[in-house]
Amino acid sequence: MWKVLLFLFIYCGLFGSSFYVYEQTRSQPVVADAGRLLPVAVKSIEKADGEETLKRIVEKANETGDKLTIAGMQHSQGGQTYYPEAVMIDMKSYNKIIKFDPVEKTITVQSGATWDDIQRHINPYGLAVKVMQSQNIFTIGGSLSVNVHGRDIRNDSLIDTIESFRLLTPRGEILNVSRQEHADLFPYIVGGYGLFGVVLDVTLHLTDDELYEKKTITMNYSEYSSYFEKEVKGNPAVKMHLARISVAPETFLREMYVMDYIYADNQNELSKYNDLKEERIVALPKFLLGLSRYSDWGKNLFWDTQKKYMGNDSGTYETRNNVMRSDTNFMAYESSIRTEVLQEYFVPVDDFPDYIDDLRSALEKEEEFNLLNITIRYVEKSDQAVLSYAKEDMFALVLLINQEKSGKGIKRSEAVIQKMIDVTLDHDGSYYLPYYSYPSKEQLTEAYPRIGEFFEKKKEYDPDERFTNFFYEVYK
Amino acid sequence: MTYQRFILSQSIIFMASSMIFPFYILLLRNVGDSYSQFGWAYGLFALTSALSYPLIGKLSDRIGDQNLLLFYSLAMAVILLLFPIVTEVWQVYILQMTMGVLGAVQKNTEKTTLARKVEKVKAGGTIGRYHFWTSFGAAIAIIVTGYLVDFLTIGAIFYIASLLYVVSGIVLWKNNHSEKVKQISEQKRTADI
Repeated sequence: MWKVLLFLFIYCGLFGSSFYVYEQTRSQPVVADAGRLLPVAVKSIEKADGEETLKRIVEKANETGDKLTIAGMQHSQGGQTYYPEAVMIDMKSYNKIIKFDPVEKTITVQSGATWDDIQRHINPYGLAVKVMQSQNIFTIGGSLSVNVHGRDIRNDSLIDTIESFRLLTPRGEILNVSRQEHADLFPYIVGGYGLFGVVLDVTLHLTDDELYEKKTITMNYSEYSSYFEKEVKGNPAVKMHLARISVAPETFLREMYVMDYIYADNQNELSKYNDLKEERIVALPKFLLGLSRYSDWGKNLFWDTQKKYMGNDSGTYETRNNVMRSDTNFMAYESSIRTEVLQEYFVPVDDFPDYIDDLRSALEKEEEFNLLNITIRYVEKSDQAVLSYAKEDMFALVLLINQEKSGKGIKRSEAVIQKMIDVTLDHDGSYYLPYYSYPSKEQLTEAYPRIGEFFEKKKEYDPDERFTNFFYEVYK
Repeated sequence: MTYQRFILSQSIIFMASSMIFPFYILLLRNVGDSYSQFGWAYGLFALTSALSYPLIGKLSDRIGDQNLLLFYSLAMAVILLLFPIVTEVWQVYILQMTMGVLGAVQKNTEKTTLARKVEKVKAGGTIGRYHFWTSFGAAIAIIVTGYLVDFLTIGAIFYIASLLYVVSGIVLWKNNHSEKVKQISEQKRTADI
């Protein structure tokens, strides 16, 4: 009998300890962003369901000493939205449209609203967003914090289109921030990665929805700069633009196709085209992208099909709003050992051909580096934000990279990415910050000469470092 | 009576193990990294089972089926407490290997017990009934567990299964205990005569 009791006694002890450990790990939610390289346990996730809640979260953190991070869709890939043991504020439910003035063409939205929310609201009034990403899944607060740019070539980055916003400061006060009020903060917070407080609501300038005719042509990379200057920038009718350069082995970094969105002659037919498009059936592009992940012939096939498909699209019409809501689902990638990360490099328009030559020779030796896509857009010089990436008129190359999630995979990517950034910096370029912390501190300083000033202002404004994230902790 | 208890304990064991196995893959998905790791996890399980069968067979002849089954139940009860808290793939591998050995204990001993207890003439019917009851327990368990995982967490089913193993252990212990008492009283009676 005593044996049974002894067993039960030990068993109860083990049961209790196991349950305790299990509850401990469960009570700390594990968070990861779209890069899936940094899964960490945060202290808690707090839903921002209103201004009062947000104020309370900040006040409470000031009492307890907790660190705060701010998350929207979490498509920044270097932990810009979270940090171990910090409280993560989830802004997604803070998404109301507060004010819309179709005559003045402005809209005020809570920062958790997405571009899709705005598009659905303003499309019936014949209005459209001025600057946003090519996809519409992102929140306004997140987009502001990374100062996005997109297919539009006639405005510079998002900061250009922001009238004002309200900020919940680290001390729990609410400030109106614009180019007139608290103007010193404005260029730090736009493109400031959530380090100065919570952006509550944002007033944006809108523009007219327009009908564009698409024109697609293929060309050699060496012709692109002059084509762009003459036919795209030099032609006021071209409103939006994007290009792709081949990553397929047969035409690697040589062949390109470009797509121009030209102001259509038949604007009166806008109403025929202005139903907002929804995500399409994505089986074919998803399948082809899938093949290109695993093989060189898959990459060749994907490139040829893309070229043909885009060619067929030439001469068709699309509204501005629809151009700014392109499909994302086909890129969804599920693998537990591998992930897909982005990089974005900016390079002056004139430097493009030489840059591509150097990039090609840097990458030709990297057989293991699985580069899946490069999309090219244009961004006009903008020095409004302290962390501005467009030091002059630049092409922006977005690279999609498939890599292993393991430490070894990260190391391998780091080596290649640092090499590519060196090539970019040699051409007076820079790189975009919302991605994984692959770049070295030296590279950051070279690409962003005002980074020291940025961190100083952060420390001055938020001396307790109430707001933090991986980006800040890695590079500060 | 003892044979019925044996069936009862085996039914509970089958319930508990059927609770875990179909859903166990969910845990592996949280911890594991790829299909090849699934392959390894189950492969190691089968391999350690295979290697331990001969030894277990000999052991069951020496120390008795009941004792081995009791050991199996209690060891499983303890091992299952580790499942909810594993975080690394190598930990899963180690657990799988331990489960491989224990699985072999259960399978071998179940069969030797049947072989020793069942009358050869009626073996077909008896083993059929045995499988009916144990599989019935398993089927109910799988269905109920589906709901449990929905309402509770994947961790909870491991704790419940662990408790079931303790119950089956107690049933087996009582079985052993009453058998020993019976043996002693029979010896006494023989001695009296």
